[in-house]
Amino acid sequence: MAGFHELPDSQLATLSDDQLIEYMRRARDAGRHDAMKPAIGVLVYGYWASLVNRARLKLPAADAEEVAGEAAASALAAAFDGKSIGEFRAWLHTILGRRIADYFEARKRRPQTTPLPSEHEGEEDVWGAEPAAEFEGEALFAHDCLTRAYEEIDAPRHRRVIDLYVLGPHAAAETARLIGAGMTEPNVHQIASRFQRRFKTLLEEGNTAIRR
Amino acid sequence: MSDVDRVLAEYKQAHRSGGEADPRPFLARVSGVDREQLAALIDAYLARAPRRPFDAADYRDSPAVAAADAAGRTLAGSAGLWPVLLPRLRNEARIKRADLVAELAARLGAQSRREKVALYYHEMEQGRLPAAGVSDTVLEALGRIVGYGREALRRAGEMPAPGGPAPEAGAVYTRTTRVTEPPGEPGEEAPEPEEWDEVDRLFRAG
Repeated sequence: MAGFHELPDSQLATLSDDQLIEYMRRARDAGRHDAMKPAIGVLVYGYWASLVNRARLKLPAADAEEVAGEAAASALAAAFDGKSIGEFRAWLHTILGRRIADYFEARKRRPQTTPLPSEHEGEEDVWGAEPAAEFEGEALFAHDCLTRAYEEIDAPRHRRVIDLYVLGPHAAAETARLIGAGMTEPNVHQIASRFQRRFKTLLEEGNTAIRR
Repeated sequence: MSDVDRVLAEYKQAHRSGGEADPRPFLARVSGVDREQLAALIDAYLARAPRRPFDAADYRDSPAVAAADAAGRTLAGSAGLWPVLLPRLRNEARIKRADLVAELAARLGAQSRREKVALYYHEMEQGRLPAAGVSDTVLEALGRIVGYGREALRRAGEMPAPGGPAPEAGAVYTRTTRVTEPPGEPGEEAPEPEEWDEVDRLFRAG
């Protein structure tokens, strides 16, 4: 089939998410399944640490990688189907959230024919206990509190501090520089600190079960 | 700077440095509401993190390879998400493949043909068995074993829509004849029509 030219890995790595997906689609349409593989690798590798670590926050370690893998495949499959998914990264994380919810639903339905991973108890110091439905509930509640604390911030510049500094990769000084217009490093710390205090208050007010 | 802020900053640094950045040891350093807060912050940070630059050497040794392979079977195969979904469900159900096959065969009334059920199930996990041919009876039985709905299994097998030439035929197909097999070249001996048994029909006739 005309229109498909295989690219080396080094060039694939420079493509955007959308370009990689389009490349895979053209490879598949051309019957070049072998050429799809490196492009899938670039995309999956790029998000793997984020996906699997988000899954580890909510699921037992033994299952986190599989759920993350399924989310990656599901997100790619939907992109292939031509569904309107918007930004691929956001879509990928949305799908991960759904797969995690599916995981808990399946646990409720699954007949307990074999022992659950009690045999692994003690191997994981923090999350070694079998997951309970409350895990998900707690995480959702915390997410809601975070969203609310964020939405309570009126000033766009202050929200940008949260985006860049608290939830982003930038240092306080760099954040101040990026925002400019009089924003200083102490301002950044102050805004972040106020946000974190509000977030914590909302969590405490929720009277959630505290994991010790 | 609070404990949460400090640990979050360290976590972000670990993530940016390109390592595995498992969040659990970081969470272990705080407790109670602080832990909930830290988990939510790390979660939000990861959801916004940009794609990591590709590192071929790191990729080769990473679990992402297996995930990418499974995604590839999904995108190139004829069974949708089954290559990723079925192994996950089996593992989450803490059931060995041989035990699953035995139970599946029993539920299908095909105990004496367990080996054939095993081959077909293998093809399902590999994405080589067209999902459309697998009957509701099989999906119902499988769903009961792994705790997943029949319709959800069906839908998972149907996405993405097949496109492009079919992948290389699997083990079962090498010994069987496709229903839609095109005729051979003139003068070439036509293949013997295969006689399907009940297991074949369950897995291939839809």
